[in-house]
Amino acid sequence: MALFNSPARVFFAATALRLILLVYGGWQDAHSAVKYTDIDYMVFTDAARYVAKGESPYARDTYRYTPLLAWMLMPTAWEGVASWSTLTFAFGKVLFALSDVLAGWLVVQLLIRCYRFPVERALRYVAAVWLWNPMVANISTRGSSEGLLGVLVAALLWATLTKKPVLAGLILGLAVHFKIYPFIYGVSILWWWDAERDGSTVTSSGLLSKAWGFITPSRVKFTIAALASFVALNLVMYLQYGQPFLHHTFFHHLTRIDHRHNFSPYSTLLYLSAAGGAETRFEALAFLPQLILVVIALPLVLAKKSLTTAMLAQTFTFVTFNKVCTSQYFLWYLILLPFYLPSSSLIRKPTLGISAAILWIAGQALWLHQGYNLEFLGLSSFVPGLFLAGISFFAVNVWILGIIVQDGECAGEITVALK
Amino acid sequence: MKQRITFIQRVDAGFDPEQAVLTASSLSVRNLDAAREDRITVGLAELPEELRTVLEQSNELHLRWASEGYFDAVAPFSSRVSPGLHVHYTPLKSESSSEALCTLLRTVVAPNKDAQYKDCSKLEESFITPPLLSTRFASSASLQYHTHLPSIQSLVKYIQNTVCDQSRTDGSECRTRADALLSADSVDIDYDSISQTLTVSGLWTSPPTGGWTDKFQKPASPTDQIEFGLLGTEAGLEPEEIKMGGLLAVVGQDKKLKPTMFSFPSRHQPLTEPSSYTVSFASPTGLHPKMSISMPRSSLKRPPAPSDTTCALHTYLTLPSTIFGDQYQLGTTDPLFLESHNLVSLHALAGEMDLEAPDWVVQRWGSNWLLELATPPEAEDAASTPGPSNWTATIPLHLRYLPPSETGYRTAHIPWPVVFWACTAEDDTKMGLNPFDRTNLGWDGLFGPRTLFYQLQPAGDHLVEEIDVPVLRLEGDGYFQGRYIEFGTCVAISLGFLWVLWRLARVAWSSGVGNKRAEAVHDKKE
Repeated sequence: MALFNSPARVFFAATALRLILLVYGGWQDAHSAVKYTDIDYMVFTDAARYVAKGESPYARDTYRYTPLLAWMLMPTAWEGVASWSTLTFAFGKVLFALSDVLAGWLVVQLLIRCYRFPVERALRYVAAVWLWNPMVANISTRGSSEGLLGVLVAALLWATLTKKPVLAGLILGLAVHFKIYPFIYGVSILWWWDAERDGSTVTSSGLLSKAWGFITPSRVKFTIAALASFVALNLVMYLQYGQPFLHHTFFHHLTRIDHRHNFSPYSTLLYLSAAGGAETRFEALAFLPQLILVVIALPLVLAKKSLTTAMLAQTFTFVTFNKVCTSQYFLWYLILLPFYLPSSSLIRKPTLGISAAILWIAGQALWLHQGYNLEFLGLSSFVPGLFLAGISFFAVNVWILGIIVQDGECAGEITVALK
Repeated sequence: MKQRITFIQRVDAGFDPEQAVLTASSLSVRNLDAAREDRITVGLAELPEELRTVLEQSNELHLRWASEGYFDAVAPFSSRVSPGLHVHYTPLKSESSSEALCTLLRTVVAPNKDAQYKDCSKLEESFITPPLLSTRFASSASLQYHTHLPSIQSLVKYIQNTVCDQSRTDGSECRTRADALLSADSVDIDYDSISQTLTVSGLWTSPPTGGWTDKFQKPASPTDQIEFGLLGTEAGLEPEEIKMGGLLAVVGQDKKLKPTMFSFPSRHQPLTEPSSYTVSFASPTGLHPKMSISMPRSSLKRPPAPSDTTCALHTYLTLPSTIFGDQYQLGTTDPLFLESHNLVSLHALAGEMDLEAPDWVVQRWGSNWLLELATPPEAEDAASTPGPSNWTATIPLHLRYLPPSETGYRTAHIPWPVVFWACTAEDDTKMGLNPFDRTNLGWDGLFGPRTLFYQLQPAGDHLVEEIDVPVLRLEGDGYFQGRYIEFGTCVAISLGFLWVLWRLARVAWSSGVGNKRAEAVHDKKE
């Protein structure tokens, strides 16, 4: 298709799609009691208003993010002529939508430069998965900040694959400060970035020299940069907003008990144990399978074979084995799919790919049906409905994860340092 | 001890002088068709030790109980609170935490095992702090509590066991009076540290079958007194006044019933035209029930308040912790949202506002919400416009997660809110003296001291809505056991974990841990 010959046309269409949604969203907000804008966006803009008044963003209940987000959205708090205020209000959404497009651009660049994709093929995959994906455009134009994570992860990959350890470290620190989960990528990148990757040909033998050989300049730079940006950002925020910053940005996410129904297989168990009905404290160990796979096993086995497949598998595992899982989490691995899909067995074997898609959607549908029964019809569908639906969805995800892991063996990027 | 017995007869009720007979030592009434209020005022010294301890720590203590059944409030007792027990409390020392009051409350409420009763071991953990709109309206108490309470049987038993037993001669009389409270439509108990007296008032808005037949003896002790009044009400000359006329007597003191006529300003005014509302939740309620308050359009005429006052229709919600409003959703200024619900704005809120916490984490009893409701546009007042004859305001609410149960459901009891017109005047001087005044209702303190209230009558047999809340189904034995969930989750996660590890092991086996794939190395050599 001629459309995919030109990056300009693909990005123009992606931008136009977001612009149309932004305008439509503004229209719906102004004419209907049912709002297009996400509730979270109201939280962000309320927090930005507090910041503009010189107060803490945590003065807004349920603001559980870095103050950076509220700072970035300060223009939404500008008050002025009525017609202006609708424009300034949309500032954050425009920012999120632009981040989306930028993330897509970075992925296209990487596919072309590091994976030797023809332009057309790169554009086709990124458009299908990300740029033209209505779900992605919808989420960012409704004002959810998940799109920012997309651009941070894409930028992290770009800096890594083009061998800029300091920049990659700085971006990782920022990403972890923004949302905790990207720390998992740090492990993969560290393991991946061996001496050979830096162009060294020295092959060391002996355990001690191997261990010593692990410490390469790139790994050191990356680690220090990541720690520096993470610590610096937290220090600035802590000095500015004190304990509430630490509590809402980090501790809340670590200590919360998500007793409400969600896609996680732990959901019913967490309700049971939060209400004091559990005999064991099995869920207290939930971090073990999740972190063993995500932080140790997956990076160790996959990162050196294919960094992006390892990161996709990590994200997929993190979300699948997490104690809480909502649909916005699925966006986390979407940005990594264009790297994996082209060479995956899901595409090579259409029956497998279609079965995986059907099973995943069926798992979702099954759960959503039970969720609808509970949430809207008021039926007690926790057991067996939601419990079994959650476990089935988990099983489908684990099966797909097995395919990704298997594909990790024979997928990889070409990581010659670009001159 | 002082008693005041007031009978209020409706205009159309018949009265024969034979029905109320005063002698030198007693007064008797026979088959009297009237509403009745009994008010007993007791000095602190006359109370049993246990109760005195609680009261001595209080600056103010006001209990308001209203029945869940239908009753037709009658002027000058036209004010209402939502069904259940309301406690408004101001401790003498702001930091003192009275466990004694909590103990007393538990005795009075006597919660059954399954009730969603917020136990109070410390006041500050279960009571809420009502909003203070302005310090000049310092008429509200500092702490507030509410609980679902269909019957005051335990309160009556408590009075009989402690208060009545102390009384020397009139023990049986005391017990009879306490028993009578069981049929009351509303009961008020008031104490304040200035007067050092406890007042208990019971209100019966309709007589028992055959009318009131009762005999009031002259009290044995000279310090005790019984006042009697048989009155009728009509509108006063001024809009804020109520005029009453009838017969008054002090039993044992007056020789005959004295005809009388007097008027006084009253903050609670009856609505001259019948006006009612009903409350319901649209089915299915799900986890986000929507409360509907429906009023016939004819009920929504501006009350006959002075023309220089501003009148607005309000509702005051008393929500138990099981159900809550989202302060950001309801506090919005978005005209589209407000119009679609026939709301004007959220004026005040207090209490448990957490949007995420399950009920077992919430310690305080619940929350209060004062919302201004929209009224139909003036043009529709002519009643000539077609369309639905009911005007409905809706309030979106949300349910908390409740503890698991054997059936998979638990019932949330939600008292009907009160709906009233509040007509505020610029003037903020105090209201003149009113022998039947009633304050500390929760919502009255949110308005200026000269505000006039006109309450709509709730039209229903049961003024508490019951919602089935879906919860996790757990049985002691059977298919739905907690350990099956624990075991099932554990097995599923372990299998999933092992499956991924197995896949990883196969990859590692065939190409080695950390080795790059052959092609990549090949590419690099290029």
